[in-house]
Amino acid sequence: MQQLRHKQPTATRREFLAGAAIFALATGLPVPAMAAAPSPRIALLLKTVAQIVIPRSDTPGAGDVGVGAFLSLAFAHGMEGAQGYDLWLDQELNRRAGRDFLALPPAQRVKILGQLDAEAFPAGPPPAVPSPWVAIKALILTGYYTSEAGASKELQYNLIPGRWDADIPLKPGARAYSSDWTAVEFG
Amino acid sequence: MMEYEFDAIVVGSGITGGWAAKELTEAGLKVLMIERGREIVHGDYPREMKAPWELPFRGRGDTQRYKRDHAVQMLNRHFTEWTEDHFVNDRENPYELGADSAFTWFRSYQLGGKSLTWGRQCYRWSDYDFGANARDGMGTDWPIRYADIAPWYDKVERFIGVSGAAEGLAALPDGQFQPPFALNAVEKSVREKVSAQWPDRRLTIGRTANLTQAKEEEGRAPCQSRDICNRGCSFGAYFSTQSSTLPAATKTGRLTVITDAQVEKVDYDPATRRVTGVRWVNTKTRERKSATARIVFLNAGAFNSVHLMINSANEAMPGGLANSSGVLGTHIMDHANTLSAVALMPGFEGRTSFGNRPTGVVIPRFRNLDKADGDGFTRGYSFQGGALQSGWGRGKKQAGIGADFKRDLRGPGAWRMVLVAFAESLPRASNRLTLSKQVDPLGVPQLEIHFAHGAGELAALADAKREAGAMLTAAGGQVLFGMDRPGPGGTAIHEMGGARMGHDPKTSVLNKWSQAHDVANLFVTDGAQMASSACQNPSLTYMALTARAVDHAVGLIKAGAI
Ligand SMILES: Cc1cc2nc3c(=O)[nH]c(=O)nc-3n(C[C@H](O)[C@H](O)[C@H](O)COP(=O)(O)OP(=O)(O)OC[C@H]3O[C@@H](n4cnc5c(N)ncnc54)[C@H](O)[C@@H]3O)c2cc1C
Ligand code: SF4
Repeated sequence: MQQLRHKQPTATRREFLAGAAIFALATGLPVPAMAAAPSPRIALLLKTVAQIVIPRSDTPGAGDVGVGAFLSLAFAHGMEGAQGYDLWLDQELNRRAGRDFLALPPAQRVKILGQLDAEAFPAGPPPAVPSPWVAIKALILTGYYTSEAGASKELQYNLIPGRWDADIPLKPGARAYSSDWTAVEFG
Repeated sequence: MMEYEFDAIVVGSGITGGWAAKELTEAGLKVLMIERGREIVHGDYPREMKAPWELPFRGRGDTQRYKRDHAVQMLNRHFTEWTEDHFVNDRENPYELGADSAFTWFRSYQLGGKSLTWGRQCYRWSDYDFGANARDGMGTDWPIRYADIAPWYDKVERFIGVSGAAEGLAALPDGQFQPPFALNAVEKSVREKVSAQWPDRRLTIGRTANLTQAKEEEGRAPCQSRDICNRGCSFGAYFSTQSSTLPAATKTGRLTVITDAQVEKVDYDPATRRVTGVRWVNTKTRERKSATARIVFLNAGAFNSVHLMINSANEAMPGGLANSSGVLGTHIMDHANTLSAVALMPGFEGRTSFGNRPTGVVIPRFRNLDKADGDGFTRGYSFQGGALQSGWGRGKKQAGIGADFKRDLRGPGAWRMVLVAFAESLPRASNRLTLSKQVDPLGVPQLEIHFAHGAGELAALADAKREAGAMLTAAGGQVLFGMDRPGPGGTAIHEMGGARMGHDPKTSVLNKWSQAHDVANLFVTDGAQMASSACQNPSLTYMALTARAVDHAVGLIKAGAI
C-alpha cells in the first residue's frame, strides 16, 4: 500500500468512512452500506473498467450487471486488501493516458488497460510485490461471476444437483458451474 | 440422601453432547443438556438456499466487520458469508496465548456446536493408534484397544450414516458403510497408478457422514450433492446434533435443553467425593443459576471441558477438578496440517463430473506401521484431498481482459489434484491449557493456550511433501507446489487432549471408561480424553467413546455404585 497516495479530494470521504467505522464499533451499529457511495467520476470509471475486462457478448458484461458498485463496496470494506485502490486506479490510468482516461476513445482505453494487465501478470513467477491491479481484477471477476447473470447465464448455477455423476464426457462449449464451490475456491 | 433435579447433566450440545444426551435418555435417565450458544432449530438455516447475488458481499462477507469481530474465525476457509453465524464472535469470546505459542481456535458456540460446521470425515482408529504411545514411549499408554471400541464404532456408524468403501486396510479398519460416493476420472487413475507402484498405499473415497441412502425412520433424506453442508442442511442429509441425535433424545420425553447458558463451574462435594451438579451464567441476562444431578457428562469440546475443570478448582481440589495427578490441561494436541502438493493432471480434458460431492478422497497412513520407516518421526500421517476442475477463479491469476478472456473462463478449467497432510501430533507436557488472569465479558477467567508443533511433526510433513509429490508425479501429474510447514496449532480443527485417559491415576485424569479417576460420577467424553492423536479425523472416535461411557455409567447407576 506504500505506493498509494491519498491526496485526492475523495480522501475526505475515506476519512469520513473511517470515522463511521469507529462510530459503528463503539455503538455496535453496522456501518451503513451507503457509506460506500463513490463520487460520480469514480463510479463511472469502475463501471467502465469492469466492462472492458468482461465485455458484453451473448450475455451481459461486468459493467452492465453492477460490478462497478460492487467494486466500490469492496474497496470501502477492504476486500482482497484493496482498501483505497479506486484512487490508485484513477491516478494510474490517468497517468498512463497522459490525461483523463475516461476522455479517451474506447479503443485507447482497452489498449491502456491491456498494458496495465499484461505488466501485472508477467510470464514466469508472479512479482514479489503484486500490482494493485491484481486485487482489482480479482474483485471484478468476483463481482461478475457471483452476479445473477454471470453466475447463471454466462456460467450455470445449480444449487441442488440432486446426484453425483463422477465421470461423464465434457461436451465442447459446455459452460462451467458457478455453484461448483470447490472449483471456485481453489481456482 | 441428596435429592437430584436430574439423573444426568450434559454440558455441551455438539457432536459428543448430542450423543451423550441420546444414549442417556434412551437408557431411561432424565437429562439436562446445557449449551452456552443460541438455539438453532433444525431446518432454520436462513442462508442455506441463498445465491451469492442475494448476499451483500456475494458470499465473501464484510472483511471490515470480520477483522473486528471474527479475527480468528475468518482465517478458516469454512467461514464465509453463508456460514458466519455458525462460528463465534472472537471479540466476545476471547482467549489468551502463551509465549511462543500460535493457536487459531475455531469454534462454534450454538445448539449443535461444531456438528453443524464439521467436515463429516469419519475414520476408525486401529491398534497401530491405540498402541502408539506404548510403542515409542511418548505419552502414556491407552487403557483400551481396538477390540474395546469396535462394537461402539459399529453402533455410531449405523446411526449417523457413514458412506464409504471397504478396503480391508489394517491401518484404517472398515466400518458399517452406506454405499460410497464414486471417485472421479482423475482420482480413479491416481488410485491405480499409486497402488501399482506402492502396493501398501491406497487412495480411497472419503468416509463421510453424508447419507447416500435415506434414513426414513429418522426423517433424513439422502444427500443432494451440494457440498454446502456447513450452512446447515434442511434435508438432514449429513450428521449433526439437529438432524440426528437431538430428535432421538427429544423423542424419549426425558430431555430438557437450556441454551444461552455458559457453564462456569462444576460443583463438588468433598464429603461424598462426588460432583453434585453445575452452575452457569445466562449469557443474555447474566443471571447465575445452577442445577443438580446424579452424574455429570462434560462434552463442551476438548478445550472447553478442560477449561471448566480447571476453573472448578475448590478447597479440596486446588489444582482443578479431578486433578490429583497434576496432568489436567497438559498434553494437548492438534494434527500438524499442510498442503503437501498441488499438481496439474493432464490427459483428462474430455472428462468432467456433475454435482458437488460432499467429500474428498483419503490416502491412509502408510508410514511406521510394521516397520519403522519414518525419517525423523515415529508416528504417521495421512492425506486428504481430491481432483477438481478449476473454476472462474483461475482468471484471478491469469493475464487477459476482454472477449477472449471471458470466453476462456466460460468452460471448466484444467484438472488439478490436491493432497493435504494430517500428521500425528505428539502428546507433550509443554503443550498445555492454563487459566489466564484475564476474564471474559461474563467475568469468567479466560483460557490460555500454550502450543507449538515439535520436530517429529515437522519431519513427518517434510516426508509427506516428498511422497505427495512422488505419487502425483508417478500418476502423470505436474507438481505446481507443495508445503512442508504446518499452519499454526488449531489449523486442523482437531484440538484434543488435556484430561487424558490412562491406567494410572497418578499420570492420567480419566480411566478407560472416560470416568474421572478421582470423581466416580464425572465423565469427560469429548476430545479432552485423548491420550494420543493418531492422524485420523477424531470425531467418530469421540462419539464411540461417548456411547461406551454412557453404557458403563448406566450400568454403575443400576448397580447402585454411583
Ligand atoms: C470446519 C470444520 C471441519 C471439521 N471437520 C471434521 C471432520 O471432517 N471430521 C472430524 O472428525 N472432525 C472434524 N471437525 C472437528 C469436529 O467438529 C470436532 O471434533 C467435534 O465437533 C467435537 O465434538 P464436541 O462435542 O467435543 O465439541 P463441539 O461439537 O464443539 O460441541 C461443544 C459444545 O459445547 C458448548 N460449550 C462449550 N463450552 C461450554 C460451556 N462452558 N457451557 C455450556 N456449553 C459449552 C459449545 O458451544 C458447543 O456447542 C471439524 C471442525 C470444523 C470446525
Ligand atoms: S451436500 Fe448433502 S448433506 Fe451437504 S448440505 Fe447438501 S444435501 Fe445436505
